[in-house]
Amino acid sequence: MDESVAEYIRRTILKIPREEIKTMLQKWGFLSEAQLQTINFHQIKDNISQEVVQLCEENCANIKQAAVLDVIYNHIYPNKRMWSVYQMRKTGEETEFFDLTDFKKKFKKFLRSALNNVTINFREYEDNAIWIRVAWGTPYTKPNQYKTSYVVYHSQTPYVFVSASMLRSNLPLLCQALIFASNYHDIREMELRSHCLNSLKDIVFKRYSQNFQTYCPRPLQERSVAPETDLRIIQQNRSEKERIQRLNQELFGDGPLPKLEFAQYKLETVFKSDPKMGVLDKKEPFRCLVKFSSPHLLESLRSLAPAGMADAPLSPLLTCIPQKARNYFKIRERKSIVPGSFVSP
Amino acid sequence: MAAAAPSVPRGVSGRGSNTARRGAAPAMESAARTLPGTARLSRGLPFGRLGISHSRLLPPLPRSQEIADPQRTAFLLRKQWTLYSVTPLYRFSDTHLKDYARLLSISIAAEKQKGLAVEVGFELDLDIKVDVSSIPDLKGSDQDHAAILVQLSSRSPASSKNSERKLIWLGCFCCVSGDDLSKNLPKDFTYLPLFLVNGAEKYTSIIGSWFQTTFDCCFHRLAISPFNLSWMAAMWTGCKVDKTASATELVFSVPRLPQPLDISYAIHPEDAKALWDTVQKTPGEITQEEVDVFMDCLYSHFHRHFKIHLSATKLVKVSTAIASAHCDGTIKFLQSKHLMGVMMLLTELAISQIE
Repeated sequence: MDESVAEYIRRTILKIPREEIKTMLQKWGFLSEAQLQTINFHQIKDNISQEVVQLCEENCANIKQAAVLDVIYNHIYPNKRMWSVYQMRKTGEETEFFDLTDFKKKFKKFLRSALNNVTINFREYEDNAIWIRVAWGTPYTKPNQYKTSYVVYHSQTPYVFVSASMLRSNLPLLCQALIFASNYHDIREMELRSHCLNSLKDIVFKRYSQNFQTYCPRPLQERSVAPETDLRIIQQNRSEKERIQRLNQELFGDGPLPKLEFAQYKLETVFKSDPKMGVLDKKEPFRCLVKFSSPHLLESLRSLAPAGMADAPLSPLLTCIPQKARNYFKIRERKSIVPGSFVSP
Repeated sequence: MAAAAPSVPRGVSGRGSNTARRGAAPAMESAARTLPGTARLSRGLPFGRLGISHSRLLPPLPRSQEIADPQRTAFLLRKQWTLYSVTPLYRFSDTHLKDYARLLSISIAAEKQKGLAVEVGFELDLDIKVDVSSIPDLKGSDQDHAAILVQLSSRSPASSKNSERKLIWLGCFCCVSGDDLSKNLPKDFTYLPLFLVNGAEKYTSIIGSWFQTTFDCCFHRLAISPFNLSWMAAMWTGCKVDKTASATELVFSVPRLPQPLDISYAIHPEDAKALWDTVQKTPGEITQEEVDVFMDCLYSHFHRHFKIHLSATKLVKVSTAIASAHCDGTIKFLQSKHLMGVMMLLTELAISQIE
């Protein structure tokens, strides 16, 4: 077995949390159950990985087989990578029957004709997701197994989730291979990025609880019967709190929101202020870059108005994130006669 | 609240005046251009550092006060410094710097023996050399005591005696334009209220303890309040910038939500300065109202787009081409031209924390 393969397997095992190693090896299926029984999974990871490598030696593992273990690892821990979303387009409405074998053949053929040094692995999962792992080399060097690209393609949809981590120069090649293999004509990158792959899928496949903008006439307020005079003040607060809650519900829906870590806005709008203040009054844009970050951005935004930090309803620039399926925006001034309005793309 | 507001009016006179109570700080170049050539009389503003600030005058730096040799202060640039305020040192003497270095070495060796400084990766037999030196250029006015620099450099025992040492820790005591208080000090006391540290915490605590016991002084972390951060944002935005200057960035934190939120608000430096220039009414002077108006403008522009009240959040970091400051009391100097001005501001913060 190649020294580099041994090292690759060793390092992959070290990434896996100790309690998970056995299950992952079983999923991998490269080592027999009998072989797995011989491994002591209660020792330190260094030793476990050495034992695994030795067994792989006995079975003469090659790099492609080793790569499958990496795919399994990334499928279970996708949030360690940053994912971008691409949308493919085709002219014409016909929905063709998706032939997996054909797709794989064409994908490999396209990449190999451009670069003969690539390692390509496919793995299909129950939810119609095809995971593709590509390790890139150059005409003169072997593929770098540590800087791999991952593609997750749901064949029933035009969406592709890509985790690049490679030279930008190979990205167009990857995109071309995808549209060639899937019989689409065009591919574009959406302005949507996150570590949480499932949330990206939720947004793009509209799997979260959507808010339906319906007209809700305000229910008649029932007068409270309590006699104390200060109850009036309390009621005021309560109605405001209820209003905020209702608006939040309309905007964000009720259920859990997709998990995004950041949203970025490039503002190119004009600075406006009260003319009496005598401050900046330029027609040129007041250029800003605003970035929101949070472990769970949408939840965080949802809680701003109830916390008193924001007005309700919250700005559509923020609430449109799931519907518009993007978290990178460029905002320009709307060219209209009505001042004080701006465009959200 | 007032006690926490160290930004203070100064009775400072203008260019060339010898009656200046404090050495003029290097100012914002725009102020330099617009300040009249004749000396401005001191406005006789109360100097109470505990008072509510109203304004700050920005006289330009007279030629003689510019750093004679910027190389000597270049070590300050582009490093992250943690800030402390230090109470006056009792019986500190500039003639004994070599002795202090020796005593500090002994102190560090003793700590290593005690095993207190042991941690993973800490080589017990790392050969550490201590240097204590004076930096005559690093001060504001003549009344200031020259800065004192403590350097720790290391060399692994495996390497030869002549191999180069690696700088592992820097500590700088300084005072930039702290005049008034140093005047009132009884003799035997040295006033170096600002302490900057770059390096591992374990050395900071060893060296800090030694100074505390030897000179009977006290170190306190210097936090920078959002109030002072907004002053810094306004002042530094007003400085003339070149084409490649970085943005004026404000970072806000909203911790007490179910999911914490951080907001970074970066404004193109030319646009930020254009806004500030229309806000600042009197050249050479900044008032509290002007800082408030500037910040309110930024807040309302933000609110117009996002409907979020930035004023309800906590300003934790300000970053411009001049410097970047964090509320935890860390700073990074980015330009040598305005270095002394920032040092002067920090000295002032340190002084007000001491009192």
